[in-house]
Amino acid sequence: MITIDSLAKNFLAPSTTKRGLSFRRSAPHVVKAVQQVSFSAPNGRITGLLGPNGAGKTTTLRMLAGLITPDAGSMSVDGIDVVSRPREALARMGVLSDARGLYPRLSARENIVYYGMLQGMEREAAHARAEALAQMLEMKALLERRTDGFSQGERMKTALARALVHDPANIVLDEPTNGLDVLATRALRDALRFLRTPEGGGKCIVFSTHIMQEVERLCDSVVVVSHGRTVASGTVGELLAQTGEEDFEEAFVELAFAEEFKQARAAGAAA
Amino acid sequence: MSIANTSFLRAAWTVYCKEITDALRDRRTLIVVLLSSVMLGPLVLIALSSFIASFEARAEKREVVVMHMERAPSLKNYFERQTYTVKTAPADFEMQLRKSRLGDPVVVIPEDFEDSVLRGEAPVVEVVSDSANKQAEGGSHRIQRLLSGFSRERATLNLAVRGVSAELLEPMQVEERDLASTQTRATQITGMLPFFVLMAVLYGALNAALDTTAGERERGSLEPLLMNPAERAALVLGKWGAVACLSMLIAVLSCFSFLPAQWLLQSDTLQAMFQFGLREALLFLAVLLPFAAALSAVLMAVAIRCRTFKEAQANSTVVILGVSLLPLFTVFNEGGEAGWHLMVPALAQNTLMTRVLKGEGFGMEQVLVPIAVCAVLTAMGVWFVARMLRAAAVR
Repeated sequence: MITIDSLAKNFLAPSTTKRGLSFRRSAPHVVKAVQQVSFSAPNGRITGLLGPNGAGKTTTLRMLAGLITPDAGSMSVDGIDVVSRPREALARMGVLSDARGLYPRLSARENIVYYGMLQGMEREAAHARAEALAQMLEMKALLERRTDGFSQGERMKTALARALVHDPANIVLDEPTNGLDVLATRALRDALRFLRTPEGGGKCIVFSTHIMQEVERLCDSVVVVSHGRTVASGTVGELLAQTGEEDFEEAFVELAFAEEFKQARAAGAAA
Repeated sequence: MSIANTSFLRAAWTVYCKEITDALRDRRTLIVVLLSSVMLGPLVLIALSSFIASFEARAEKREVVVMHMERAPSLKNYFERQTYTVKTAPADFEMQLRKSRLGDPVVVIPEDFEDSVLRGEAPVVEVVSDSANKQAEGGSHRIQRLLSGFSRERATLNLAVRGVSAELLEPMQVEERDLASTQTRATQITGMLPFFVLMAVLYGALNAALDTTAGERERGSLEPLLMNPAERAALVLGKWGAVACLSMLIAVLSCFSFLPAQWLLQSDTLQAMFQFGLREALLFLAVLLPFAAALSAVLMAVAIRCRTFKEAQANSTVVILGVSLLPLFTVFNEGGEAGWHLMVPALAQNTLMTRVLKGEGFGMEQVLVPIAVCAVLTAMGVWFVARMLRAAAVR
């Protein structure tokens, strides 16, 4: 169970307009990465965080993983506050972040076991878990190979296994299908569906994406994020009903880019 | 020990083991480091020793190269009485001297040498050498002394025939006593050793320090690493421990590589000068191990600010430059050792190692100062990396 309430984060970006060789720094401008993101992801369900590029999805998930301290708002994982008890919260989460670098000189198994031990597992338990995950993700043949030279899909599987090694109750995935082909995407979807079921552990799964089909095929509920705000949430059906559209893509565009449409209409009316 | 402490140490140990495995699997880098830093010192030592040995051999070799020896039988007789072997100069000796192909100066005898000497006309005997040709130039003084010996002998004989005592010609005697020569050369060479060892320690740490920080950022593996519940300080300590251990391993290897190297020294003088036994190796390590620890932390602190391995390499040049330039203080500074030398990293290590090589050794209080400096540097470096780690992961 992951709950995020009124999350906000501003960044200071150095001003890019520099004239000549001036050593005086111009005032940095504020980038409002996340302004008002709220959602709740229950156990046994897949919650999709849908939004266009730059909507604040990755920043939100990084805050959830304790990498960035939010300016305002609160986050809790199974009732544990992320800001005040980040390590306890992390122990209950498996996060597949945007950056999913592996250690090229270690085998896939060593990569997975390393994270297991950092999660506080015993070596034998971590090895056993690596094998179980390899079975589930269909990557048994990869296990003893060094990750140097892995394909995108193989990397992704290894990174996912690494994130799930401690069998977390909450799984957070940042654009997991990026760079995957159809078969790999399907395999990932099946794995996530299994993890949602009671046999798979009834996990709470949150994943961010900008791909409509992913959401339509996989998500039990959708949170639409745009310009750093939660603009809508509900099931795919509910969102379609809310916008009165037949097509989910149309519905998404209307929800996510409502402001732009308003401005365009206003400009059109003025002209 | 509390549960928090054990989990801290466990995480640090896990990171340490992983980083050591990772670094040891980077075979190619490891071999290059081993060859360049561990082997270089001994190799240079051996090369220089054979260079000195050839100098010594030339000095001992009693040979004189002469053009037109047939014109001066009396001089030839003198050379042979001095147990010198006369060699005939090649026709193009000037060219060969210029091109450093000929390593001896050439004595050129003029025509009518014998008759001129008899008539007392003082014929001109040339000693041809090239001041750019170090070997020939070195032998030139020896040949001039030999020739003036011949002149003196002739003069003495002439005077004796006329019943004048030869001592009148020499109201005083000059005797040369050389304190330096090969000894100086030997100290110059052994003086380079601390530098080589310092560089070995530096290169031992460099790759691992960059790989565990900037490399981790470049691969995109730092962000997922920080999504583990392990404490950041534990992660950094594990990484630092691995880097420091590798650097220390290289330090140990390079110190002990001088032990077998000195058996191969060809020059007896150098062998006598270069007393490097187990005691010296251990004293070296007492100086180097804290330095390796500090250097690892400093390199990591420099590299964690860099996004890519390449950028980190460029930035670490400052550290490399510092380690290679600071010891030069003792070369340029004729004032000798000052107290503050022991406070400056690299310079302090160089100073203490030079003392060991001179056979002076050092006391506990002298080694404590650099150890304290290294400890402070290590703490600062590790603290800085731990502080920067989270910001570095997301940027």
